[in-house]
Order: sequence, then C-alpha cells, then structure tokens
Amino acid sequence: MAIGESQMDDGGPTEDVEAKFGWRHTLGKITDDTTARWGLYIVAFVLVISAYTMVDSNLSRLTFGVLSDFTFAEAIPIFDHPERIPPPGEGESHLPPAFHADGSMAHPLGTDPTGRDYFTRIVYGAQVSVSVGIASTLIGFVGGTIIGSVSGFYGGKVDDFLMRIVETVYAIPPLILIIVFTVFVSGGSPDITYAILGVGITFIPVFARIIRSEVLSIREMDYIEAARASGVKRRNIILRHVIPNSIAPVLVYATLQIGVTILLVAGLSFLGYGAQPPTPDWGEMLNVSHGYMHANVWLSIWPGLAILVTIMGFNLFGDGLQDALDPRLED
Amino acid sequence: MTDPLLRVENLKTQFFTDAGTVRAVDGISFEVREGEIVGLVGESGAGKSVASMSLLRLIEDPGEIVAGEITYKGETIFGLEEGPDGELREREDMLSNEEIRTQIRGNEIAVIFQDPMESLNPVFTIGGQLREFIELNRDLPKDAAKEEAIRMLREVGIPDPEQRYGEYPHQFSGGMRQRVLIAMALACEPSLIIADEPTTALDVTVEGQILELVDELQDKYDTSFLWVTHDMGVVAEICDRVNVMYLGEIVEQAPVDELFHDTKHPYTTALLNSMPRPDRTVGELEPIEGVMPEAINPPSGCRFHPRCPEAREVCQRVHPDAREVAHADGHPHRAACLKHDVFDAGYDESPPLETATQETAGVPAGGRSTGGPGGEDGATDLKDSVIEDGGEPTDGTRSDDRGETHE
Amino acid sequence: MGLARYTLYRLLQAIPVLLGITIITFVLANLAPGDPVQLMLAGQEVDEELVEAIEQQYGLDRPLHERYVTYMAGVLEGDLGYSIHWGQPVTELILGRVGPTLLLVLSAYAFAIATAIPLGIIAATRRNEPTDHVSRIVALFGVSTPSFWIGIMLILLFAVQLGWLPSTGLVYPWRGPDAYAWIDTWPELLYQTARHLLLPMIALGTLQMATLMRVERTQMIESLHGEYVTLARAYGVPERTILRKHAFQNAQLPIITIIGLNLSTALSGAVLIEYVFNINGMGRLFIEAIQALDYQLIMGITIVFGTIFVVGVIVTDLSYAYIDPRVTYGEEE
Repeated sequence: MAIGESQMDDGGPTEDVEAKFGWRHTLGKITDDTTARWGLYIVAFVLVISAYTMVDSNLSRLTFGVLSDFTFAEAIPIFDHPERIPPPGEGESHLPPAFHADGSMAHPLGTDPTGRDYFTRIVYGAQVSVSVGIASTLIGFVGGTIIGSVSGFYGGKVDDFLMRIVETVYAIPPLILIIVFTVFVSGGSPDITYAILGVGITFIPVFARIIRSEVLSIREMDYIEAARASGVKRRNIILRHVIPNSIAPVLVYATLQIGVTILLVAGLSFLGYGAQPPTPDWGEMLNVSHGYMHANVWLSIWPGLAILVTIMGFNLFGDGLQDALDPRLED
Repeated sequence: MTDPLLRVENLKTQFFTDAGTVRAVDGISFEVREGEIVGLVGESGAGKSVASMSLLRLIEDPGEIVAGEITYKGETIFGLEEGPDGELREREDMLSNEEIRTQIRGNEIAVIFQDPMESLNPVFTIGGQLREFIELNRDLPKDAAKEEAIRMLREVGIPDPEQRYGEYPHQFSGGMRQRVLIAMALACEPSLIIADEPTTALDVTVEGQILELVDELQDKYDTSFLWVTHDMGVVAEICDRVNVMYLGEIVEQAPVDELFHDTKHPYTTALLNSMPRPDRTVGELEPIEGVMPEAINPPSGCRFHPRCPEAREVCQRVHPDAREVAHADGHPHRAACLKHDVFDAGYDESPPLETATQETAGVPAGGRSTGGPGGEDGATDLKDSVIEDGGEPTDGTRSDDRGETHE
Repeated sequence: MGLARYTLYRLLQAIPVLLGITIITFVLANLAPGDPVQLMLAGQEVDEELVEAIEQQYGLDRPLHERYVTYMAGVLEGDLGYSIHWGQPVTELILGRVGPTLLLVLSAYAFAIATAIPLGIIAATRRNEPTDHVSRIVALFGVSTPSFWIGIMLILLFAVQLGWLPSTGLVYPWRGPDAYAWIDTWPELLYQTARHLLLPMIALGTLQMATLMRVERTQMIESLHGEYVTLARAYGVPERTILRKHAFQNAQLPIITIIGLNLSTALSGAVLIEYVFNINGMGRLFIEAIQALDYQLIMGITIVFGTIFVVGVIVTDLSYAYIDPRVTYGEEE
C-alpha cells in the first residue's frame, strides 16, 4: 500500500521475532493499516458517545428519580431530552435538517413526528445499539465457549448430542428464531432485554462451532497430553489450558460478530420486536419513520446512516484485528 | 567447445517490498550444456528457486529481473542494453512475453516443482492436465495428445495408465504424483527441464526411485536438467556439475567430483559436513552454525563471513566474486573465497574473526569428520581447518584458535 | 459411496435436525408464560368456558409430550395445524405464500452471484489497483448496511423521487396474465414481474453480493497463487485460460458452501424485505402471525423456514460433491 509511515524507520530486518506477538504488536499493526485505523476511530467514537449518554441518562435517573424529565446533556445547547415528547404547541414536528431552508440550528437533524430533536435521539441511539451488540455477543461468546469447549474436549456422545443441538439452532433463520423466542418468552410483550437474550442465544451455536474446532486442534497438543497423563482433572485442563489457548481467534470473530448483531437487532427493532418506544434506538426510529416515508424523507435517512457507520467501524476494526493476528499474512 | 544450451550471466532478480529491496538473486552466472544435469544447491532462502523461475521469466510482482543476460539456444530470454538516454532498456532481440510463453515455456524449458501435492490442480483429472499441456506444447490434436499422455504415464512407471488417466490427483500417492509431473515435463519434449527440489517432499525410498527414473529417462531422451536442491546427497547422486548458492550468489562452481573431493569454499564444506551419511552417526553431523541472514540486508564483505569458521578481518571488508581457483575435467572450478591466492586480498595477514557461531554452539559434536564422501583421497588442508573448529558441545565454547589454516 | 448414496446419507442426516427444529419450536411456543390461547385472547373480555373449550379442542389440557406426539403425527402427514386467526389450515396458508418468498430469495441470489463473481475476479486480478479498492469499498458497504434500509432508500429514490419503479407488491409469473386485469400478454407479465422484483431483489441481494464478492476475491487470489497456476504458466498456458479454467474452478468451491450457509441470513432478510415492500410472502405471513400470536401458524412457518434452510444446504453440499472430485462423500463423518 502507501509507502509506510513509520515502519521504515530502522531497516526492518533487525526487528525482534518476539515483537511479532502480543497486544502492542497487534495494536501497532492496526494503526499501521489505514482502513483498520479508521475502524478503530469509529468504534472508539461510538463507544465514547454511548458511554457518555449511558452515564448521563443513568445519572439523571439517579439524581431526579425514575421519571426524570431532565438529562445533563440538555445543558449543552445542541442536545434535547431524548425521550420526552414536547407538549403540544411547544416543539415543531417534522422539522427538516439545519442545512435545509426551513431547518433550524437548534435541531441540526430536524425533529421527529412528535417534535423531539432527532440529533439527540440519534446520538442516544448509539448507546442502545452498542450495548445490545456487545451484550448479546457476550452471551453468545460465553455460551458458545462453554458448549464448544465441553463438546470438543469430551468428544464422543456428548459432542454428538451438543453438535446436533447446535446444528438445529443454526438451521432456523436467526431473525425468525429471535422473534419467536422474544415474543413467546416475554409472553407477548417483547422488549429489548428479551431481544438481547434471544440474539445472544441464537449466536451460541456459531461461537460453539469455532471454539470446538479450536479445542479439537489444541486437544491433540503435547502439553494437553502431558497434563492429562499427569492426572490433572479434566475440568481444570479445559479451564486452564484449552480455553485460554483457543480464545484469540474467537475474540476476533466476536468483534466482527458485534457488527452482525447490531444489524440484526436493528432489523428486530424495525419490525417492533426489539427496543420499544420511546427508547431512542436506530431500528425503532426507522420503524416509526417508515410510516412517514413520503412525508419526511430525512427521518428514514439518519438512523440508517448511523447504523451503517457503526457497523462499518466494527467490520473495519475486526478485519484489521484478523489481519494483525493472522501470522500467515505477515511479510 | 560448442555453445551451451543455456547461459546465464550476472543475473540479478530483486523484490521490491515495503521493508526494502530483497536481492534474491544477486549476480549469478552459470551455464547448462546439452545432456548435462547441473545442480543448483543451497539452503532455503538462498535464491535458488527465484533464479530458476527467472529463467522462464516467471517472476511475480513485486519481483523483477533487474540485470544480467539469459541466453537459451541463441535466443535472448532476458537482456538489457543502454538506450540513447542512458537508461537501461530491454534489448531488441529479447523475446516478448508472448514469445516466451509460446516458444520457450513447456516446449523448450519445462519445470517440475517441489510439491507434487500442490502442483497438480485438484479439480482436474491427471490425464486432462497432461493432455492440455501436450496439446499446447506439441501442437497435437486431442486424441493424439491423449495417447501421448498415456504413453508417458506408462514411461514414468505408472501402472495401468489408461485407467489412471481419468483419475484425480488426490487418488495418487506423493511419489506417483511426482512421476506424473515428470511425465508432464518429458511429454512436452523440452531440451531443458528445471527440477525445483522435486524430491524434497517425498520419503527417502520414493526419492531413490524417482532419482533412478530421472537418470534413466535422461539417458533415453538426452534432456538437460537444472536440478535445484538443498540436498548434497541428491547432488552427488545425479549431477554432473554443481553451483553452490549462498544468499543470492554462487559461491562455488565445479564438476561434481571435484566439488566433493577438492572443496574450495567453506560454505560448501559446511554443507557437506551437515549432510547425513551412512558412515557417520548423527552425533558426528555438523550443522551449519547460525542462520542465513536475510537477503534484504546482506552482511558486508563476504556474505558468509558471520557464519564462516575461517573468516578473517578482511572478509568483513572485501566482497569476493567467484574466480577460477582450479581446473578439472576441462571445466573451471570457481570459488568466491578470499583465502585463495587469486584474490590477493591479504587474507593470510588478516587476523581471525570472532564469529557468531557461539550463539548456537553446543550443536556441533566434537567428532572428527573425514571430509569428502567415503573419506577418500581428496581431503584438503581446508577440511582439516574446519575439523579443528568442532568445539566442545557442553559449554558454550567461544571461537578458538581457528586462525591456523594450512595454506 | 456413490453420489446417489451420498444424497440418501445427507437426507438421513437431516432428519435429526428437522426433528430438532420441531422440538425447539414446540417447546418455545408451549413453555411460554401463559398458555397460547390466553396469550391470543389477551386483553379481551373472555369467559372461562370458551377458553376451556378452545384448549380442549387443541388438546392444550394434555401433557406436553403427548401434545408433541399428536402434533408430529400431523406434521408427518403434512398437517401443520390450524390457524385460529385466519380460520384456515396452516399448511394451506403457507403454501399460498411460499412462492413469493422463494422467488424473492432466488432472484436475490441470482443477482448476488451474477455481480459478485465477476467483480471478485476483477478485484483479485487487479489487486491493490483502483478497481480493487472500489470493489472492496462496495463490499464493505454491502456487509455494513441493513438490507431493509437499502430497501427504504431504493423506494425513496426510484419509486418516490424518480417514479421509475413500483414500490410495493410483486407480480407472480406462475399465475399467468389472466390473473391480472391490467396485464394482457405473457411478455408484459414477465416485464411487470421484473419491474416489481428489481428493487426488493437488490435490497435483499446486496448483503449476499458483498459477502460472496469478498470470498470470491480471497479465493481467486489464493487460487492464482497456487502452485498449479504457476505450473500452468510455466507450461505456456495463456493467462486467459489460467484465469477462466485453472484458477476459477478452484475458487468456486468455497463460494458454493457460503451460498448454502448464507441461506439463513437471506431468509431472515426476506422477512424484512417483504415487510418493507409489502410482498405477500412467508415473511409477511410470519409477522402477521406473530402480531396475531397465532401460535400454530408461527410454529408452522418456523418449521418450514428451517426446512428450506436444511434442504438448501443439502442441495449446495450435493453440488459441491458433484463438482469437487476430492469430496469422499462423508464416509468418515
């Protein structure tokens, strides 16, 4: 690619072999790679925004009680309350974005059908997408690690049985399975918590498969044999040797999976089975704006762009991580 | 003497990478005459394969042949000249890419690769692949090409060739696949076959069979071979003349007997000593000290000096080219080592170097080796000096009094 | 093992999965808090007797495993139960809706394959050139954009702004021109089908296209670096033949697997796309069933979706085995 910025400094070959591993090396490779670096920036940006808004809304709730009508963000002129609907006559609904002739700088991205500031809602939406993405990926990751490592390590009938379950769950298209799960388990009143659970459980098989194949290859390694021969308990072998050694590729996969999860949850909320109004969530906003597609085009554009940028960030970062950790791509 | 089949002069092939320029092949010259098997020997990374691929102009981006001349049967495969603007440009008479493809590749110069597992396309039948190359390089119609393919399969000792013609590579064993590749090369009726480590991936018994087969077929078809390998044993068995490569350069060039019995370069000596032989135990093997440096940033002076047991101070400064140091069987014996008188670089007066060998010390067992294969007459002074170098294996021996050469 | 026996083997292998799908669906639907009838009638003023009558009619008063056996007995005869909300057998309802979904998914795949393979090959052969960068950016956008949002944007641009293409519904060629009052001839029917299909096809196919393009590019690069390609070059095979024959054939195998496995994403996407474009397929039927909490219909649709996926994977596996001589037809599995 472009002539390297920093790697040309002192004639590469003297580089220590040891330095090709470890987090510093990985991070270094990511920042060397332009696209991965942008991924890192986007992910960091979205994470910071989500962290801020999360703290803000929780702090407001703590300070002013559950039904708080105030957020600290409101102290900043461009922010509004993300959920509160302005009383009739106060806020103007369907305001176009600021660059439009009818727009106003007070609402950079305009207002929604109920007169809420769209910019605030988009910003607060990051929090929902990111936390849902991370939380459900975590469920899939943990569940998959347990099932996959048990399955891979014990083999035989346990493996057969677990893999049949995994195959079965894998066979039902995820969106269908998640909606069925969410609706039935919530007793007909879906909300975001059930969505997270549903998405997480649905992705357990994917993680389980990867972990299992990692474990299968590690299981045959000499040091596992040695541990087994010297009478270390199976459970301890799994926990202390097998899992730590198979986790790296799965972590990369998890990063890429966060993007997929956000995509899926957006679809779920869009259909009305994820985040519920008045939660500011990008998918939910697209659900609402779908009804105003002809009346107000902008309402459909902004949340989609936000989703696009966020997922792209995770994808770029994940790809970069994969490249950085894949020794075959060295040299 | 008649013109050689292939003449390579001062060939340089470089790879332009982000980390810098890799001088994979750095000015090598050799020739292959009709009916000869010429060896190109060296450790992996020495540039043997790049050199052999350069002969077919099959160097892929970011690599490029940057200098030298390759002549084959009077045709210029590669050649540069200085243009009116002083810039180097390709010579008029250099074959175009299309000409190389249609006139040289396959029908004049064929190749056999190292890994028979990877060289055959897994999704096509053995016969289909053979037939395609025969059709292309011998201008035969389909039927005739198929017949020829089956004949060649039989020729290389594949049983039941009519039936195996329609089978896929995964249904063949490694040795059988290598036979297929040999059939492929011979079927195109080339005058020269480049065999790039063709037996490395095979086990020893199969290797023996393949070498025998090649020997036999070479007699029959009178094809010349350029045999690329890292294995001195194979060289001894099959080659007529040998070129020893180290880090992109040819360090020694001699007829095979001469090379084994009157070795003129310390690197060749080291290669010979590291070779397993029936008359030696594993403990007596002497692995070459250290690792070969990268071709991206080769050592100054003689490139072998950091690993050379005979290195002296002058070796750090003066870069030796391969010069004729002896003459045998009508062939020159060239070596690129300053210790020979023709260099007159002041080697004898120069103080010995503390070489980096202690880093991996402990590997060479202290046993004495008797030099050349079978330990016959040819053992020279040079070899004795190497033998003295065998340090004690247990304590990280620092380099000792290896200054004492017997010139 | 011959291809025929392998087919049989794969079909047998699918049985536990299909059984598993019915179990998962059944358990989810029946272990839910509150029984399905109460869920359905939630919020309505109902008298207990009616509920009991319904429960008895559907056997809801019997233990779970008994109900499952009864249900499965029906499923094996092709009877997926009865939709309370529609007042129709579930099988009938689904059969009426499966056509549009398959049309949509298959055309999206056709679009994805037709674009991804040439683009992937071009990107691979012009690695790190502008063409490659552009195609990689396209692929990146493709995997990062929600399909339903692409659908909305396409509608806003081509239907609302430009008015070139219709934004809702499909025209089904299998119904014939007589079924549509405004269509007279077959060519016109096919033209209308294409016009209606174009936007949803692109919306659903983009993700598939992007995924396939990435795989195609990587595979082609790998294949072009294969030693067999170098060998072909060394024997004077023209570059075009190498690309079209030697490298291409090898690169296609992983693509086939990906197509099969991605069917689950495609079917998920179909639900959203049918919703956005008002297409009366299984996806919309599913959403309607969910809204009505029509649990037998939900179960039926879930099972059919799962079956489509399983069958799709078997079909791709078989075509893989047909193309790749190395497949040993899963003897050691």
